[in-house]
Amino acid sequence: MHTLTTGPWTPVALSADLPVGTVIPARIPAGSIALWRSESGRLSASADRCPHRGMSLSHGFVRGENLSCIYHGWSYARSGQCIRIPAHPGLEPPETIRAKTFTVEEVGGVIWVATDEATTAPPAFEGLAPLRSMTTTAGIAAIEAAAGAKASAEGLVVPVGDTLCLLVSTRDDGQTLIHVLVTGAASAEARIGASRAAESLRRAAEAVQKENAA
Amino acid sequence: MSVQAMIDEWYPVGIAAQLDAAGRNTMLMGEPIVVAKDANGQAKVTGGNGRLLPVKMRYGHVWTSLGEPKKDLFPIPEADQPGRRFVDVGVVRVRCSPLRAVENFLDVAHFPFVHTDILGAEPHTEVQNYKVEIREDVDEVWATQVKFYQPQAAKSASGGITTEYMYRVAAPTCTVLYKTCPPRPSEWDVITLFVQPLTEELCDVWPWMALFDDETSMTDLIHFQQTIFLQDRSILENQIPRLLPLDPGMEIPTRADLTSIAYRRWLKRHNYTYGAQLVAQ
Amino acid sequence: MKLYDYILSPSCYKVRLMAALTGVKLDLRPVDFHPGLEHRSPELLALNPAGSIPILEEGDLILTESSAILVYLAAQAAPEWLAGTKPEEAARVQQWLSFSGRLTANLGGARLHEMLLRPGDIGALQAQGIAALRELEAGLVEQNLRGERFLAADRPTVADIACFPYVALAPDGGVSLDPYPAIRLWSRALRSLDGFIEMPGIHRLHELKAEPTVEESKA
Repeated sequence: MHTLTTGPWTPVALSADLPVGTVIPARIPAGSIALWRSESGRLSASADRCPHRGMSLSHGFVRGENLSCIYHGWSYARSGQCIRIPAHPGLEPPETIRAKTFTVEEVGGVIWVATDEATTAPPAFEGLAPLRSMTTTAGIAAIEAAAGAKASAEGLVVPVGDTLCLLVSTRDDGQTLIHVLVTGAASAEARIGASRAAESLRRAAEAVQKENAA
Repeated sequence: MSVQAMIDEWYPVGIAAQLDAAGRNTMLMGEPIVVAKDANGQAKVTGGNGRLLPVKMRYGHVWTSLGEPKKDLFPIPEADQPGRRFVDVGVVRVRCSPLRAVENFLDVAHFPFVHTDILGAEPHTEVQNYKVEIREDVDEVWATQVKFYQPQAAKSASGGITTEYMYRVAAPTCTVLYKTCPPRPSEWDVITLFVQPLTEELCDVWPWMALFDDETSMTDLIHFQQTIFLQDRSILENQIPRLLPLDPGMEIPTRADLTSIAYRRWLKRHNYTYGAQLVAQ
Repeated sequence: MKLYDYILSPSCYKVRLMAALTGVKLDLRPVDFHPGLEHRSPELLALNPAGSIPILEEGDLILTESSAILVYLAAQAAPEWLAGTKPEEAARVQQWLSFSGRLTANLGGARLHEMLLRPGDIGALQAQGIAALRELEAGLVEQNLRGERFLAADRPTVADIACFPYVALAPDGGVSLDPYPAIRLWSRALRSLDGFIEMPGIHRLHELKAEPTVEESKA
């Protein structure tokens, strides 16, 4: 088991994959979350479950500064407080209707969510720029074997002979989330090459995983 | 969970018109069953250990039970009314509790968001007060005077109308909807949702209709109802938990959810808990 | 132009969507695919011996492959949806049109199995579907790095319409779309196009409409 020293922080997604006015699903050790960015650009993370009927909020939609559930349109503010129930337009939703929220930070194009009270900032990776995220059925040990390199305390794997880095984190569903990072100065051609190299590394890691399981 | 209280109920397991001698392997409350046509052309349902299960042919479907039904299948008098067209909509499998499938059918507040521009549309989102009761004489849940603005209430509707609904839960996994009938204002269209519980978290849904509509083709009627139900399916497969929570702390209802509240109370009262979550986890 | 159509068929939806986006009027002839299996009736087999839908009929012309129908609609009404003159663009359109046939087999097969109880090896179909989604994701990442938002160009083409429906409906077959951020952004770009229409299982992007002011009734 790898103990990563990112404290309460999990790197859940890349900033570029969450434009303003959208919501996406993500996972932290506490479970599934709805990660969303308001029209004005403010990031939020809430439990991925509408308190009304249990519908996944990441299937919902963002209007203005609020997240709405797709099922009945109940809207939630960044605080998690329910602010609107379309079936009862005149009703001010009671304070007890709220979705659990989490602390969220964006550093160098990576979005981090904290499970507990965060006393430190999430790590920053100087000189590296995010390229893409991918998930794999391979565990971190298999990724390390395929890359020929060990993960740093912050979860960074720098494969031998490649010009890319992998920021890895284990998810509660047994999959591993990988954020592929490249040097900030890389050209478009180099980035396409890095994306293909990352695909190859994933294939190799999954082969290792399969072999170890057999 | 408890299979026991629900085991003596009748459940739909196939379309009567599609029975064949080869038979169809399916499941009822976790038990593998085979639904086939015997040498005399009669429906035959065989349970897991080869025992013959009771059979009824009604409302376009084959019905069976794993236990010993104490009551006849619930009545739908409109099924015998001349002039109605009977529509076998066809099976759709959904990865959710059979009870969640029924509860969603009892809900109008989701129409503007899930059945957009058909059964509802913003800004007409308000659910006005309606009446809900558990009718002790027939032991059914009824909701009446449910009114909702609908852009296209039925295949036969042209333009928006305020539709009136009555909802009836006739059995733990079977529900009947009575709805304003645009071509015949004095009658109700009947739309049902018959749910076959495969397991507690998986069900086959057999919608069936008895309508007054001489204009629309049978295929159009089927497709209208399939459209509506398939819009619901992606909701039903993404509710957490998959089981229907009966613990009042788990989900928060409002006035618009009175039918659901009564349904859950009725399930609890009868210990109809196959597909339910009793204590929050 | 007459389209033999099934409301729940992603391949038929490709044609309806293409027509909606390019302003072509279709005369829809609904086919009772489920539960009636009308696509295997003598009338439909006479049009398409393969027993599949969609079928497009216009005068003497009968087209039975959705990719061919997309090309036909675009060539008539909106040539900008076809490949341009750049060789790699033309090739990419062909590449993804061919790829879309695999999506029909794997993601489409998984969906028919999980939803309408059609036979199939569900584990294999889902695994092939995931492999195809990974390919599509990688392809879209590369396109984005080239500064192009769609599969073959910086504008949508028939290739995008050919791939979109089975991808968007992958969850119907028990295949999650959560792991594919580039697919999510591409799907959103398509769903935001003027004239976009939905099919059951693909919800409206309600955020494209401003929050309405709802007055409480006095009843």
